[in-house]
Amino acid sequence: MNLLRYIAGRLVVYILVVIFALTVLFFVPRLGPTDPVEAMLAKVASQGAYMDAAQVDALRQSLADTFGLDGSLWDQYGAFIKRIVLTADFGPSLSMYPTPVMELIRNALPWTFGLLLTSTLIAWVLGNFVGLLSGWKPNSTSSRVMEGIAICLYPIPYYILALLLSILFSYIWKIFPLTTTIRGAPWSWELITSVVWNSFLPAMSIVIVVFGWWVISVKAQTTALKEEEFVRYARLKGLGDARILSRYVLPNAILPQITFLALQIGLMFNGSLITEILFDYPGLGLLIYTAVLQGDFNLLMGTISLSVIAVATATMIIDLIYPLLDPRIRHR
Amino acid sequence: MITVDNVTVGYGTAGFIKAVDQVSLTINDNEILGIAGESGSGKSTLMRAVYGDFSTGLRIQSGTVTGRFEDARTGKVIEAQSSQFAPLWWDQLSYIPQGSMSVLNPLMKIEAQVVDGLPAREKQGSSRALRQRIADFLAGFGLEETVLDAYPHQLSGGMRQRVLVAIAAFVNPRLILADEPTTALDVVVQKKILLMMVEIQRRQRNSLVLVSHDLGVHYQITDRLVIMYQGRIVEQGPTAEVFANPQHDYTKNLIASLPRLHGKRAVEVVGASA
Repeated sequence: MNLLRYIAGRLVVYILVVIFALTVLFFVPRLGPTDPVEAMLAKVASQGAYMDAAQVDALRQSLADTFGLDGSLWDQYGAFIKRIVLTADFGPSLSMYPTPVMELIRNALPWTFGLLLTSTLIAWVLGNFVGLLSGWKPNSTSSRVMEGIAICLYPIPYYILALLLSILFSYIWKIFPLTTTIRGAPWSWELITSVVWNSFLPAMSIVIVVFGWWVISVKAQTTALKEEEFVRYARLKGLGDARILSRYVLPNAILPQITFLALQIGLMFNGSLITEILFDYPGLGLLIYTAVLQGDFNLLMGTISLSVIAVATATMIIDLIYPLLDPRIRHR
Repeated sequence: MITVDNVTVGYGTAGFIKAVDQVSLTINDNEILGIAGESGSGKSTLMRAVYGDFSTGLRIQSGTVTGRFEDARTGKVIEAQSSQFAPLWWDQLSYIPQGSMSVLNPLMKIEAQVVDGLPAREKQGSSRALRQRIADFLAGFGLEETVLDAYPHQLSGGMRQRVLVAIAAFVNPRLILADEPTTALDVVVQKKILLMMVEIQRRQRNSLVLVSHDLGVHYQITDRLVIMYQGRIVEQGPTAEVFANPQHDYTKNLIASLPRLHGKRAVEVVGASA
């Protein structure tokens, strides 16, 4: 019963966050001075096409209709929320008219997800493993070396590291491609290797930075846990190091790391956007960048809404997993 | 069983801070030995030296702690210095920690925490049979079988402490060390747990060392009593005798400070005359 209440509460928060974000996204561009319909009309006029006033009005009306800019602000808002929630429709892209925004996003999303998910998982598992061991034996040489490396790595911004990697491994040593070009038929071996090959540097730029952060935070957890009475008790029971680490220290150290993961996902998402632009990686980040440069309102709305929803969803999933791991939340 | 011979124990790797000063003591088979004394008198340090827990800079400067474990079940006799006791933990020796919120792993069910660390001889048979034996054992403490499936945070302080006593006793070792096992509990629960510990000791016929600053506890259950003061043993003997005829000034003060049914409790600063 308590568990159900926990899940219900979490879902309500999720829905509120998404609606709030969509609301902000709706109002902010409309408070600005630019009017996409007038911009479009100006574009048409500048191309030299002659139209009389009635034609202009008709075009203005049909454009407003297409872009969902018809009626009062509240009417538009209601229609906007309804359209997104019910049909997930963001209208056509303005810069790549008439391709629907959703289609562009559908093509880009797997790239971003794949990149982010793999690099996050690799960094999390590796970072927690190394941090746990170095927290357990803080005075060993390997532990000190690992901590030194982690401390040097984690303050580096994503984009600096991404630039560094691409200069080193694509320009000086021409090992990996400078920009992303994917070849191969769908689901062929060639395609898979091509994807892995092209994703390696972008993924590394995320893994390396995030890895350092996980090492440092789990090391702090482990050092604190070592002094916990239940760990001392387990040791005085005569249990071996491996057992104490796996049954007593690891589960207790990993719990806060899962919360941190939920908090970090948003940050990592931002980082991956920059990485995508730098490596010309065909994901959501590149799409947002294009949308901004081209003044493509619909595409911008679509990509940003989707990023918000994706981050909120990922955070919620982690929050829902949490009670499975922590009995104190499960049986409250 | 355990012979503590003129031992000096303390802390520190660079310097040395004495906590137990030239103490000699014997722990006999089949007895309940009480160790009393104020905070900082060295009783817990002495317990750690006897158990062989030399972490956090604890070390023996001089003297020896020798153990001789005769196991009637296997007929094996093990003799070792306490620094070599670690392989005997949760086999020949077990220990009951001072009860607090965090002695049990918050993420493990009680059953797993009882089983974890048990010697092979107590684990024989199927896991269902083992669970049944643990459940029966806990029933003796007034704990229901559902406790086995509970997490520590679902139990009250008294229940957790009973679980800790049960975990140490279920090992069925030759020596159980209990460091302030009932300090944080109310008197009713305290009495229940103490009686349970006596009953188990009588049944297992092993040795139980009980550290407590509460003289009432010692009076109720110990056979022999050791009084520590400022790192030294100032008095030891059969409990009844120590209470009837205390020799050392500090002991006299301690006993005089106990509440009485008739007459006034002696009011004097404890330790002032020692």
